[in-house]
Amino acid sequence: MAQVPLAIVSHKRQVCSLYKRAVRNLEAWYDRREVFRYRAVQMRARFDENRNKDLAEGMRLLACGQKELFETKHYQPRNFANSAGGCAYEREVIPPDWLLDYWHPLEKAQYPEYFAKREQRKKEFVVWWEKQYGKPDPKDLGHH
Amino acid sequence: MSFTQVARSCGRFAAALSTVRIASAVVQTQSRMLHRIAVPAMGTQLTQKFTMRNYSARNTIEEIEHRVLKVVSAYDKDSRCRWQTQSVRSYSAKPPLSLKLINERVLLVLKLYDKIDPSKLNVNSHFINDLGLDSLDHVEVIMAMEDEFGFEIPDSDAEKLLKPADIIKYVADKEDVYD
Repeated sequence: MAQVPLAIVSHKRQVCSLYKRAVRNLEAWYDRREVFRYRAVQMRARFDENRNKDLAEGMRLLACGQKELFETKHYQPRNFANSAGGCAYEREVIPPDWLLDYWHPLEKAQYPEYFAKREQRKKEFVVWWEKQYGKPDPKDLGHH
Repeated sequence: MSFTQVARSCGRFAAALSTVRIASAVVQTQSRMLHRIAVPAMGTQLTQKFTMRNYSARNTIEEIEHRVLKVVSAYDKDSRCRWQTQSVRSYSAKPPLSLKLINERVLLVLKLYDKIDPSKLNVNSHFINDLGLDSLDHVEVIMAMEDEFGFEIPDSDAEKLLKPADIIKYVADKEDVYD
């Protein structure tokens, strides 16, 4: 969810994002570190050259840069293991906490101490919530 | 099938195989050279405009080398025989992190970054206001942190990480480290 853009992204942020993607793209093309660093410094120089341009020129350059990045994109980019496209993406599923409430009573009865404590914690949480945010309005309860 | 026929067909088969091999070799070299064709295209524009720039605060290679060695040896001295030299190998899991260890690793990465003055660096120093980095340097710092800890930091989170302390807290949250 963190990557869903919820606001209009400023020009500066777009340039930063383009820079990051461009450098990662170079990293995918050049596996030897020193070669990659050389290319990355060149890329940085290209960005720095256009530092003080006005916004219209900047937007044109940004569009050019995005087009160039699209054209020179690596066919098999390197991803981090746990991010989308990586080798361990979604490998480990962490079940949400509320799942425990949907256990069958017979299953719950196998862990009586834990579930007694859990009920106690839920009550404490409700108390904390009401202290923090006030009592819920009866109009807001229910679906309609 | 006579013996000569067998030999002849074998020979034909071998010839066919070798042509296939040659063809595949050609294809391979072509596909291997593709990025050379594709990527220097953006380098050619550059060579006309590219002028020599010094991106480091230090000028000579000796100075940079001296600085890096100093930082690394200082780090080695105070974190001797910990996560780098563990006696038990953990085959699938990462070395266990603690807040202190994250702190050390973040600061080491930042000290080795050549635009940051290690003497000014502090856990609470602001990258842009105190350390004088610009936004592209900040992107580079975040990328270095991604490489150090091995997970991606999306842009929307990265723009909030303006101090080493923020990075430490973020990494600790992601890795589920509380103490």
